[in-house]
Amino acid sequence: MTAPVESGTGRTTVPPTATYVFAICRRPDKDVVSALPGLVDGSPVRMLAFGALAAVVQDVPTEDFCAEAWQRRLNDPTDLERCARAHHQVVCAVGAVGPTLPLALATLYHDDERARRRLTADTARFEAALGHVEGRVEWGVKVYAPHTSAEPTAAQSTTAPGPGSGRAYLAGVRRQRDVRRQLYDEGLRAAEQVDSAMRELAVEGRRLRCHGEEPTATGGRRTQVLNAAYLVEDPLRREVASTVESLRRRTGMEIEVSGPWIPYSFAGAGGGDARD
Amino acid sequence: MKEPSLLDVSPEKAGQDLVGLVLTVVELLRQLMERQAIRRVDEGDLTDEQVERIGTTLMMLDQRMTELCDQHGLRREDLNLDLGPLGSLLPYG
Repeated sequence: MTAPVESGTGRTTVPPTATYVFAICRRPDKDVVSALPGLVDGSPVRMLAFGALAAVVQDVPTEDFCAEAWQRRLNDPTDLERCARAHHQVVCAVGAVGPTLPLALATLYHDDERARRRLTADTARFEAALGHVEGRVEWGVKVYAPHTSAEPTAAQSTTAPGPGSGRAYLAGVRRQRDVRRQLYDEGLRAAEQVDSAMRELAVEGRRLRCHGEEPTATGGRRTQVLNAAYLVEDPLRREVASTVESLRRRTGMEIEVSGPWIPYSFAGAGGGDARD
Repeated sequence: MKEPSLLDVSPEKAGQDLVGLVLTVVELLRQLMERQAIRRVDEGDLTDEQVERIGTTLMMLDQRMTELCDQHGLRREDLNLDLGPLGSLLPYG
């Protein structure tokens, strides 16, 4: 795998390796990443300097990481997870020593030269984004509203048709509907409360699409009413924890917190389908 | 990451899926009728006797639904469709 790629036949138009970009950072400290495996064996994770910045890159076999290969990988959760973890590991290692902009998984350039040219064109945007995330971390906050408790359904509460049972059945259905609406409304109000409290603490907040209803570990169901990411000054870790704890008490909702993360949601570095 | 859903083409499985889909659609209609009935009751333009009759009918439909589910090895909460970003077809109880 370490053999130079030029030793091939020279007939193919697609070079056998391409430059995969993990992240952009300021201080090109290659010792930080050189020990990491990255996405493939045999080629080191290295720094590719462009202007005053550096990209964290690795040479990867083109056919395993081109758009079509990623398309196939979507059907292979195990391999996709392996790649995501490898990508994340590199991003975290770089992020541990300085401000870092993670690029999207699957950002691939034809070769170092093209990568350098394309990245250099975006230098101003990278500089601004690095300044924005420096000294800050991302926290993920999710709020869940509970569903109707173990109350018997309308059907179970009335068994045999008899005088008044039809009316009672409708009343049961209405009650159930009202409870569900009320829980959802309370959930939405709590979501706003959580969001505004977190924004007071954060430099920036971003609300993502909620995932809707899902089963809980205990066999019930819950509805996600807030799915958000917050960019917070790194030293405020305790404040994040205590704010969330007091929000839990105040709203009575299930609140999940994750972090601190490298600010993936605030990197603004795009990347996306940057294949060149 | 969700497991990719592969199409199981065995006749029994396909038949079972079809039963589930048909019952889901019937359940959707039943719930719509229920909602409509409650709205009519709330508007107060039904006589006591009409309310009682509609309620009884809906109750029996609900029980029949439970029986049908039992017969086909389904649970009531199985009668639903995940519409992705739109959420689920039916609200979960």
